[in-house]
Amino acid sequence: MRKEIFFYILPLPVALFSIFLGPSESISPADVYNWLLTKITSDSKPTISDIQTIEAVILDIRLPRIIMAFLVGAALTTSGASLQAMIRNPLVDPYLLGLSSGAAFGAALAMTVLHYMPVQLSAFIFGLMAVCLTYFLAFRRGEISIISMILSGVIVSGVFTAFLTIVQFMTDPFRLQGIVYWIMGNLHNASWSGVESMIIPVMTGTLWLFIIKWRLNVISLGDLEAKTVGYNPTTLKLMILIPATLIAAASVAVAGIIGMVGLAVPHMIRMMIGYDNKKVIPVSFAFGGTFLLLVDNLSRTITQFEIPIGIFTTLIGGPFFIYLLKRLRHGYGD
Amino acid sequence: MNALQARGLSFGYNGKALLREIDFEIKDQSFVVLLGRNGSGKSTLLKLMAGILKPKSGRMEIYAEDINNMSYSRRAEFIGFLSQSHNTVFPYSVAEVVITGRAPYIFYSPSKKDVEKAVESMERVGIIHLRDKPYNQLSGGERQLVMIARVLAQEPRIILFDEPLTFLDIYNQMQFFSLIEQLLSNKLTIIMVIHDLMIASRLEADYMMLSEGKIAAYGGKEIFTRDNIRKVFNIECHLDEKTGEIDLIPLKPLRP
Repeated sequence: MRKEIFFYILPLPVALFSIFLGPSESISPADVYNWLLTKITSDSKPTISDIQTIEAVILDIRLPRIIMAFLVGAALTTSGASLQAMIRNPLVDPYLLGLSSGAAFGAALAMTVLHYMPVQLSAFIFGLMAVCLTYFLAFRRGEISIISMILSGVIVSGVFTAFLTIVQFMTDPFRLQGIVYWIMGNLHNASWSGVESMIIPVMTGTLWLFIIKWRLNVISLGDLEAKTVGYNPTTLKLMILIPATLIAAASVAVAGIIGMVGLAVPHMIRMMIGYDNKKVIPVSFAFGGTFLLLVDNLSRTITQFEIPIGIFTTLIGGPFFIYLLKRLRHGYGD
Repeated sequence: MNALQARGLSFGYNGKALLREIDFEIKDQSFVVLLGRNGSGKSTLLKLMAGILKPKSGRMEIYAEDINNMSYSRRAEFIGFLSQSHNTVFPYSVAEVVITGRAPYIFYSPSKKDVEKAVESMERVGIIHLRDKPYNQLSGGERQLVMIARVLAQEPRIILFDEPLTFLDIYNQMQFFSLIEQLLSNKLTIIMVIHDLMIASRLEADYMMLSEGKIAAYGGKEIFTRDNIRKVFNIECHLDEKTGEIDLIPLKPLRP
């Protein structure tokens, strides 16, 4: 128990720390400190001249970005952890079922052809559409087999990637750059409206997964083993797939395709606290969010210009994952 | 009262019949051993009894209720099922695997009582020392014991075992049968598939011999006749019934 509490508390200091960081050269950490001080002491007289600008940057740019980074990380990690347990495969992530390629195609379509459609909405709809198609193809005789789900995911991803390539091929270079940038995944467009659009699906989906978290242990023993203790495996899988897809789709819609988080962070968590999904799911939310927040801090401070966070998550998540894998005591069975 | 009852039970895949119009009754609190050659339909029948497979036609009833009309969770309160072999990808601890047997009684998360039941069943099977070990690193026999503890934690009235002896050493086999005796005296109904005729013939049980998707013989020890063994298993054997105990020694296969 003690170990998990650390992960539940961690987001607070990290979020507080993140307020001080940013690319904006006009606002130094000292300014943020002074602003916080005026807030805490509720001093009505501003002690610094451009307090309004500072407040605007903190409240309208940094805060929504912190919340969005946290929610995206939390959603991708919780989704990945649930799907890995359900599909009984450590190599699964939310993108495997066609979500990322569907969303990328949707976003590209909105940027080029369907101008009247918001990019986020289009990415969300096409992402869900691709995953639904994968589920539909995986259904056989009223059951969802794991192998056919992975295979249909690969096929659906391939088809949507082909569509995406057609759109890219037909597009002028200026718009093409926008598509490529979106696919790389980034949080620099973070805003309160972005937070608003994702918070309801993400909180509903994670709460849902939180309630059924123990059942992930049962389904991950196998369909037969779930059946013999009283679960209909098909129903249970849908009960996991629906919220896991919903939360991942909501994050991809606002942040593009941020790789490695849904795959690697659940494993980092399991290696640190064990495999019981009763703990893995809530810690995935807390630590997944913290992880992405930390990476985002790096991505916007390390260089003069901002590097898309998707590149960073892969560059940081990859080696850290390999390090944990090497010192892992219990391996995965076959 | 009958624990299980089949009426005109048939099952098949892709037009190939595996079980044809089977009828039988299994009394409450009895011990039935299913015998037959590979592909005779034993495992299929066991899965139909558990409600894991749906019959193509006919009915399978447990305590006079059609199993295919029962909800999964209600079924799990009556019937426990142990498959031939099992493993997991994720290294869950033994205790985490055993407690999943409590699933019919758990909505959100295991309670203190569920934990106690899981510990009790691990003690009963003699694997309490393995409770924190990763399940997928255990030997086949140890995993089998874990799954036995899991089905005990489930507390069903009927337990179906599909070849439970496969991975067990001789000590654990004997332990297993003394556990079965305990379960029978606790008023459970036990049905199991066993391949070893020599072991099977020494048990205090009823026997159901299956051949080509039909019941060839069903009854007590009296069905161990040279004729039945020839018909069902296609082997020649030596049977010595002088001592009152059947002492069966397989001799040679007959021509196919």
